[in-house]
Amino acid sequence: MTSQSTGSDESKASSPDRDPRPVTFRIARFTPRPQSERPARTNPFSKSNPFATTGNRRARGRRWTQEYTIRIAPQRTVLDALLQIKRAVDPTLNFRYSCGHGMCGSDAVLINGRPDLLCTATIADCLSAPKSMPNAFASPGAASGSPQVQQPPAFRRTGTATTTTGVSSSVALSDSASNFTTTDPTGAGPTDPAEATDLTETTGRIKTSGLTKTSDTAESSVVEIRPLPGFTPLRDLIVDTNAMFEQIRRFKPYLLHDDSSADSGQADRTKAASTEPASEYKQTPEELARYELLSTCIACGLCQGACPIYAGGEAFAGPAAMIAAARFINDSRDGHRQERLEAIDQVDGIQACQSIRACTRPCPRGIDVGEEMWKLVEAVKE
Amino acid sequence: MNPQKVRNRYDAVIVGAGAAGLSTALGLYRALEGKQSESSSSPKVLVISKLQPLRSHTGSAEGGIAASLGNQEKDDWHWHYYDTVKGSDWLADQDAVRILAEQAPGIIIELEHDGVAFSRTEDGHIAQRKFGGHTADYGGHPVRRAAYAADRIGHQILHALWQQCLRQGVEFAEEWYVTDLVVDPPTDEESGGHARGLIVLDTHAGKLQAIQADNIVLCTGGAGRLFHTTSNSWDLTGDGMALALQSGLQLEDVEFIQFHPTGLGHTGILLSEASRAEGGVLRNSQGRAFMQDYAPGHGDLAARDVVSRSIMAEIDADRGVADPSDPDGPHDCVWLDMTGIDAQRMAALLPQVTETIHRYAHLDPTVDMVPVKPTAHYTMGGIPITDRGRVYRWQNGHRRIVNGLFAAGECSCVSVHGANRLGGNSLLDACLFGTRTGQTIAAAMSNADEPNDMTDTSPLAPALQRRQAFMDVLLAGASKAEPTEPALADNQNEEANTGVDADLNNPYALMGRLGRLMEEAVAVRCDQSSIEKGLQGLNQLDADARQLHAHSDTAVLNQEVTAIMEVDNLLTLARAVLNASLRRQESRGALYRSDYPQRDDEHYLAHTMIDAKENVSWQPVHIVDMPPKGRDY
Repeated sequence: MTSQSTGSDESKASSPDRDPRPVTFRIARFTPRPQSERPARTNPFSKSNPFATTGNRRARGRRWTQEYTIRIAPQRTVLDALLQIKRAVDPTLNFRYSCGHGMCGSDAVLINGRPDLLCTATIADCLSAPKSMPNAFASPGAASGSPQVQQPPAFRRTGTATTTTGVSSSVALSDSASNFTTTDPTGAGPTDPAEATDLTETTGRIKTSGLTKTSDTAESSVVEIRPLPGFTPLRDLIVDTNAMFEQIRRFKPYLLHDDSSADSGQADRTKAASTEPASEYKQTPEELARYELLSTCIACGLCQGACPIYAGGEAFAGPAAMIAAARFINDSRDGHRQERLEAIDQVDGIQACQSIRACTRPCPRGIDVGEEMWKLVEAVKE
Repeated sequence: MNPQKVRNRYDAVIVGAGAAGLSTALGLYRALEGKQSESSSSPKVLVISKLQPLRSHTGSAEGGIAASLGNQEKDDWHWHYYDTVKGSDWLADQDAVRILAEQAPGIIIELEHDGVAFSRTEDGHIAQRKFGGHTADYGGHPVRRAAYAADRIGHQILHALWQQCLRQGVEFAEEWYVTDLVVDPPTDEESGGHARGLIVLDTHAGKLQAIQADNIVLCTGGAGRLFHTTSNSWDLTGDGMALALQSGLQLEDVEFIQFHPTGLGHTGILLSEASRAEGGVLRNSQGRAFMQDYAPGHGDLAARDVVSRSIMAEIDADRGVADPSDPDGPHDCVWLDMTGIDAQRMAALLPQVTETIHRYAHLDPTVDMVPVKPTAHYTMGGIPITDRGRVYRWQNGHRRIVNGLFAAGECSCVSVHGANRLGGNSLLDACLFGTRTGQTIAAAMSNADEPNDMTDTSPLAPALQRRQAFMDVLLAGASKAEPTEPALADNQNEEANTGVDADLNNPYALMGRLGRLMEEAVAVRCDQSSIEKGLQGLNQLDADARQLHAHSDTAVLNQEVTAIMEVDNLLTLARAVLNASLRRQESRGALYRSDYPQRDDEHYLAHTMIDAKENVSWQPVHIVDMPPKGRDY
C-alpha cells in the first residue's frame, strides 16, 4: 500500500502524465455458453441486489476476472489502453467502441465503480478521481465491510494475482450468489463443479515484458473495468442495449409537427423533394435553446447505469428514455406536448424517478439529467 | 433492436445505417406510403448494420450541410454547382453535381421537418456559415452556405433520421456483419449482372445466414482505417467497397482520398473546418499565417487538399512543430491558432471542437496554440452508381446496370466530389442520393409485374458454404491452440514476450501495420516509388493475413472474427487504391503525385474504373456546363 502511494506521488511530482508507466487493468470477463444448453436458473438474491440485471434472463457461461499490466501514459484514454491490449496482448477481449472521441456513445462501461465512456475517461482521471458514487453503489465490496472502502481507487489494494479481495468484489457485481463463493473467481458458484475446477486458472494475469519494463505490480496502479450496470452482459464488457432502446422508442421519440401527420405530411414531402422547397418550421434561437442540449443526448446509457432505480431492476423506463421524451416536449415545433407529458406520467415513467440525481454526473454531453427529470416531474403536475 | 424473426428473403435489404442508409430507408418507405393501400402485403425491408444505427460515423460530422438556402446572404444553386465542380478539380460528373446543388435546399428543409435541431437566425430561419470552397458569384467571396447545428450537424441528422425510421417502423438487424455479396455475372453484352443476395453474420448469435433480396443497397461508409492517422471511426473499414470488388465489380476513382487539414495532433480526431470558418488561423513554427502565401484571397478556407498540401510543405521546409504531448517527437504538425476567437463565441459556436481540444490535447484553445496535422477523412471514390443509385459496370464504353444492386453515401461514387470534396457536401450527398435511391427502389417495387414471393436461396448456397468453412477454420484455430481463454492468457504471456510473434497473429496489429504502410505510400502525396514500395509491402501483409485465426472458439460476439474479415476487406481495398494511384500519372485534387505534379486533362480527364484483378479502364467525365479550367485558390 505504502509503496503504491509513494509511487503515485512521485509520478505527480516528477513524471508528467505523458510519460508511460505501468498500469494494471482488471477486467470482468464473461464468455457465454451457447444458448439452450441448460434451463435458466432463477436467482433468489436478485431482488435485493442493486446490480442484478434487468429482466429475468441471465446468460450462462464462464465468468472470471483478468488482469493486464501494460505501460501507457496516464493522459491516454482507457480506450487507448484496451486497444493496446487487443493489439499486443489479448485479441479475445471484447468491448464496444467506434468513434473514439465521445460522439457515438457505444463504449459505456463501469470504470473503478463509476459509469463512464472508455474513450473519454483518461487513465489519469481513473487513478486520481475520488470516489463520488455512494459507496454501497460503487463497490459491492464496500457493503460487505471491505477495508478498502475509504481508499481512492488509485490506491485500492491490488494484492497479487491470487489474492481474492479485488477479484471477489468484481465477482460480487456479476453474480449475486457470490456471498458464498468469494474465493471462486469463476462466479459460477458451486452448482457448476466442472467450472470450479478451473479455479486456479480463472484469474488470468498477463504481464508482457515486451511492454512492461518492470514486472513489479506494486508500482502499478489499477483500473477496474466492468460491464455497465442495469444492462444484461452479453460477452465481456458488451451488454444488451435493446431494453434501453425499446424504452426510448416507447415514448415516440420523433418530431410530430401539427401538420406533419398523415396526408399533409405527404404533401410536404412531395414538395420538398421537388425543386421548389417548402419552408422550414420557424424556430427562434430562444426556442431552440429550450431543448438544444437535450437533443445532444447520444443514448450511451451512462445515466441508466448510474440510476439506482433503473440499474436496481425496478420497473422504470429509465432516464435516457425520459430525456428523449423531454427533447420533444420542449421542442416548439412539436405539436404533441400534452400527449407526451401524459405518456410519461406513469408508474414506470417519470413517477418512478426518486430524484436521486445520480444520473447527472456521468452524462458525457453535460446534460443535467437529474434537473431535467425534476422539470418533467413539475411539468407533469401542471 | 433486432427482428423477431429473420426471413430468408426480403424485397429490399439496406446495408448500413448512417445518413445514407437511413435516408434510403426513409425515401423508400415514404415513396411507398401512398401506394400501400393498393397492394395487399406491406414490403419486406430490412436494414442490416454492423453497429447500432446511432453509433454510425455520420454522428461525428461537425461543420455543416451545404445548400444555397440564402438565409443569411444572397446565394444561388448555380454558384454551389460551380464551386463543387471547381472543388472536384473538374473530375466530378456535372449532371450529378447539378442535381446535388439544385435539390440541396429541398433536402435541408426535409431534414428540418424530420426534427434536425438546426442553429437559427434571429428571425427563426436555419442559420448558415461559411465553409471552405463555397463562394458567391462563381469563385467570388466566401458565402454562408453550410446549414449547421452548432458543430454537431452529423449527430443531429443521424438521430433525426433514425427517429423518423422508428416512426415508419423500419426493421433493423443490428450488429450484423455482411460477409459476402453474391452477384451473378453478366449473361450478355448488355447486362451488368444480377445481385442475388448476401451472406450475413449475426454477431450476437455467431451464426451465418444467407439472405435473398430483390434489391440490395450498400451504404457502408468510407475506409479511413486504411490509414493510421484518420478522423474515421474504428468501423470504417471499407466493407461495402471491398464487397463490390470481391463480387467482381469495379470501383471508381478510389485513388482520391481526402485528408482533412486539421486532425488534432497525433490523435487524428477531427477539428471541424468550422474552427477556421469562425476565425482560426494556421501558423507555422515561426508564427506565420502561411495559408495566405499558398492561397491568396482564400487563405485558411481554401479547399481541403490545398490546405493539407500546404501544411505538408511547411512541415517539409522544417517549419513544422511538435505535438506538445510528445515534445521530443517529430515536428510533423502546425499550429491552429484560435486565440483570436472570442471565448464566448467559441463556446457557443464550437463547443465540440473546444471540448475535443481540452480532452484529447489537454490545451485551452482560447489561450493555447493547438497542434494539427492532416488526417485521412473521406474517400471520394467508391462503388460506381448512376444518379438514381443503381450500381453499374463500365464495359466497352458503356454503363451496364447491375440488376438489384444499389449504393449510396461515402461508399458510392455518383461522382459529385470528383478528385476533392468540398466541406458540407458529404452529408448532402448521403441524404440526397440516399433518398433518391430509396425512391428508385420504391418505383421498381410498385412497377414489378407480379409480386416476387419466391424464396430461392440456392444461388447463395455456395457462398454460404464457403464462408461457413472459413469461419470454422478461424474458430478451430482457437480451440487447437488455446483450449480456454484463461489458458490463452498464459499462452499469450509466453508469446507476447517475443513481441513479433504475437503481432503476426493479431488482426488489430495487422491493421496498424497496414495503416502505416498506406501512410508512407500515398498519404497527402505520393510518387511511383512510394506506391510500388507500398504494393510490395502489401504482399507481405496479405501473406500474414492468411495466417490469422481467432483466439477464442466461441463464435458469439467474437470481435476478433469480425476484425479478421475487416482486415481482408481493407487489404483488398488497399491494393485497388495503390494500383489506381499508380495508373493515374497526373496530380489532381486530393491525389498529388510529385513525379507528375501537373493536371493532365488530355489523358486523365476520366474516372478510373478498377476491379479486383487490377484491370483499369477509363470512363470519360460528364462535362455539361463547365469546361475544365485552372483551379487556383
